Amino acid sequence: MSPEAAHLPEGILAHHFSSLERQNEAMRLGMWLFLATEILLFAGLFTGYSVYRFEFPLAFAECSRHLSLTAGTVNTIVLITSSFTVALSIHFARTDQRRAAVVCLALTLLLALGFLGIKAIEYTAHFHERALPGKYYAFEEVKVPGAAMFYTLYFLMTGLHGLHVVAGMSVLSWLLWRTNQGRYSSLYYTGLELGGLYWHLVDLVWIFLYPLLYLI
Amino acid sequence: MSESGSSGRENALHPDDRHAGHGHSAIPYIVVWIALLIFTALTYLTGKQHLGAWALFIALAIACLKSALVALIFMHLKDSSGMTRLVLGTSLVFVALLLFFTVGDVATRFRPATPAGAPFGTERSQPEGLLEHELPE
Repeated sequence: MSPEAAHLPEGILAHHFSSLERQNEAMRLGMWLFLATEILLFAGLFTGYSVYRFEFPLAFAECSRHLSLTAGTVNTIVLITSSFTVALSIHFARTDQRRAAVVCLALTLLLALGFLGIKAIEYTAHFHERALPGKYYAFEEVKVPGAAMFYTLYFLMTGLHGLHVVAGMSVLSWLLWRTNQGRYSSLYYTGLELGGLYWHLVDLVWIFLYPLLYLI
Repeated sequence: MSESGSSGRENALHPDDRHAGHGHSAIPYIVVWIALLIFTALTYLTGKQHLGAWALFIALAIACLKSALVALIFMHLKDSSGMTRLVLGTSLVFVALLLFFTVGDVATRFRPATPAGAPFGTERSQPEGLLEHELPE
């Protein structure tokens, strides 16, 4: 057992790891493997998007201009800032500033809620305009072939992304509770770091969704 | 990061762990956050111009730059082991393969190669002028 492991709270170092460094490295590798599968999951949708945008450039451009660019831009800023506050919370945890870490995590959750709120307002508008996926598409303002495909992909991509936001919020809430208990410190913060990695992935996906959906 | 000159080869195996403790600085995060906001403004401003063929290229180039910043600094890839970088690199290679061959297939189809009733190759094979059609702002 490494010397610092002796000072660790109970239940952090699993018995099958010879040292905390090895456990940390294994945890990071495992998380990145999971993130790789997430990237490939979204890549399927981005490929579908590319094919249909290539086929229906006019319809995609026209539909894109009926989305709220303001809502999309504000949400981009909200998510980027939430990524920043998560990074800060890990920084505060590893420098033993527990209170600041908790505040940053709470801020992240608030920003995530704000993101979902703005998304909900946008979705409500689409439902009122009947700009819906597939055969439910009945949007009066765009009647070009391919328009329904744009909205199908829009709802699939933002919907799957939204589910990831909800999942990320659950993970961050749990981490907020554990951070408040004092589990993460300069001795050990890998658990919090992995939760942060997941949240950054949610941000990464949106960085690509924003120009591809709102700015054609 | 500020500890870049940090001592010793003994840390080489676990580069990320050397940042633990009170020497860790938050300044890189603040710089990256501001950079991300500036790049978002740039995406917004260039996107609104509708620069035609260049628009997609510029938007994707900025998005890739933003992603690189998030991955390297926020996700600590800059300081992590080669193994985690290899995992990310491998997944990106497969994303590139998927996109390249799928879009390549669709892009190189021509009318006689498109089966009757196929969902593709109908709108695009219309006159090129369709793309210059006036779009609502």
